[in-house]
Amino acid sequence: MKLVDRLLRRNTSWARVAGFVVSNFIGLAIVTGALQFYLDARGLWEADDSFISTDYLVVNKRVTGGDVLGGDNTRFSAAEIDDLRTQPWVRKVGLFTSNDFRAYMSVSGASHSLSSYIFFESIPDSFVDVPSARWQWEPGADVPIIISKDYLTLYNFGFASSAGMPQMSEGIMSGIPIRLSLRSEDGRVEKTVNAHVAGYSNRLNTILVPENFLREANAEMGTGSQQAPSRLIVDVSSPGDVAIDRYMEEHGLEVAGDKSASQASFLLRLVTAIVLAIGAVITLLSLFILVLSISLIMEKNRDKLHTLLMLGYDLPAVGRPYIRLAVTASVSAFVLATGATLVMRSYYLGPLEGLGGGGGPVWVAPAAGLGLTLVVIAFNILAVRRRVLSAWRL
Amino acid sequence: MEKIRLEGVLPRVFAGDTPRPSEVWRGDVTFRRGETVLVEAASGAGKSSMCAYIFGSRTDYEGRILFNGTDVSTLRPAEWQQVRRLNLAYLPQELSLFPELTAWENLQLKNGLTDAVTARRAEEWLTRLGIIDRRDYPAGKMSIGQQQRLAIVRALCMPFDFIILDEPVSHLDEANNRIAAEIIADEARRQGAGIISTSVGNHLLLDYQRILSL
Repeated sequence: MKLVDRLLRRNTSWARVAGFVVSNFIGLAIVTGALQFYLDARGLWEADDSFISTDYLVVNKRVTGGDVLGGDNTRFSAAEIDDLRTQPWVRKVGLFTSNDFRAYMSVSGASHSLSSYIFFESIPDSFVDVPSARWQWEPGADVPIIISKDYLTLYNFGFASSAGMPQMSEGIMSGIPIRLSLRSEDGRVEKTVNAHVAGYSNRLNTILVPENFLREANAEMGTGSQQAPSRLIVDVSSPGDVAIDRYMEEHGLEVAGDKSASQASFLLRLVTAIVLAIGAVITLLSLFILVLSISLIMEKNRDKLHTLLMLGYDLPAVGRPYIRLAVTASVSAFVLATGATLVMRSYYLGPLEGLGGGGGPVWVAPAAGLGLTLVVIAFNILAVRRRVLSAWRL
Repeated sequence: MEKIRLEGVLPRVFAGDTPRPSEVWRGDVTFRRGETVLVEAASGAGKSSMCAYIFGSRTDYEGRILFNGTDVSTLRPAEWQQVRRLNLAYLPQELSLFPELTAWENLQLKNGLTDAVTARRAEEWLTRLGIIDRRDYPAGKMSIGQQQRLAIVRALCMPFDFIILDEPVSHLDEANNRIAAEIIADEARRQGAGIISTSVGNHLLLDYQRILSL
């Protein structure tokens, strides 16, 4: 139907359409670019500690002089935990469970062996971001362990060099089989299990084992007098929130580990959110430009539309040239924006990978851009249909 | 479509006026397929309104219009468009040609919907009406009489049960009037269709079975 197109495209202001394409391109490029950068840069803080989300804080009470004398003041009472749960910045609270039995670890190498009394803790599995296959324990299987990175550093640079022991990388350490000897306090139950290091954490100062393993071992060998937890893991909505610091200060609590990752991650998210909002606003404004310019063309061509409808043309058929215009313009802007994002990514990816980031998914940002484009198209289709209907009822 | 019935129809603008004698307004009129009817009236009596009401392009009336017993106010847009493509041919008084398109493109625009008329037949009609040499002229550059002849041909470029002609020969001389009448009558007869023609005086030269005064 070239004739219909020719008739209805009259009065099209190509400058206005170009104005839409440019502004929509800018809006979409900001949205997809910012999102892509966020996904790539997020790795800077999260890649080296993939077990624990940066939204999680490990909280304990500050140890004071009195505690040394044997008081139990560093444990959290049920009321204190409930109070923490009701804070607006708290999503969920998990309790640390400790071993209620004696544990002895031994590592045997070719020339050296190392053994020590140790302790374990566990947190609810929902707080551990490890693929479940790697963080699974069944009776008889190896126990996966996550240890603090600091322990490895202490060993390598504090202990190994002075004791004439070999230094170990993370990879080597993970490959070494560990034997755990577990014994109940009264010595009646004893067992040995194999274990291996499944990962290292910057943010957890503990030796972490799967929850079900510790629960079973405590049931089997524990004294049954499980005490209140002295550490909590807290999922917070925004780690940089000053309200968190204030609460911790007021209640004499300490947040363990490196918080700068949390704060940097929070800042990255905040900045991304602001940039995304700006991009979305520009996209929205460009949507109005397109809706208005198409409405204007249709208003100028109203008599033509009416005549075509009186000749018997179907309503969708006379709207089609305008919808095609909207789709072509929106899709062009989307393709340009996606291209621009990929070009931008090729420039920053090198340096970012040097810093330890990069490698975010490449489909999410274009998918978001496509989503916005579909919104723009949907709005225009609605506007075109309304105009056609009003020309029909002229 | 066999019947078009106007039941108590009256333009809303006339509602407050003192009723004038009319065989259509406020009456009960049925147009039948195959019938040739002339609706005569003085200027301002509402001829174009009546045509537009039947054709569905205006709805500012009281009463009911029925196609085969169905109230047209219940028709959905898609159903109206089908009626305009297959049942009701219409020549509006204002002609509604696209001035930027050539005469031939104007015909194609209508005929392309149903391919009811062959190019040869359309050219034959243009020839008989004396405008074949204007075939590739922009319609806007043709004289008003030529435009009227073109609009008549365009109205015929579809299958129809009724053809509504709103003052079809107001700008034509008698010779062209006669030719137009012949073409329209032939085409209506071929399709078994009804003709509803209006006039303020200079009417299409047909043998009318009924003449209604509006």
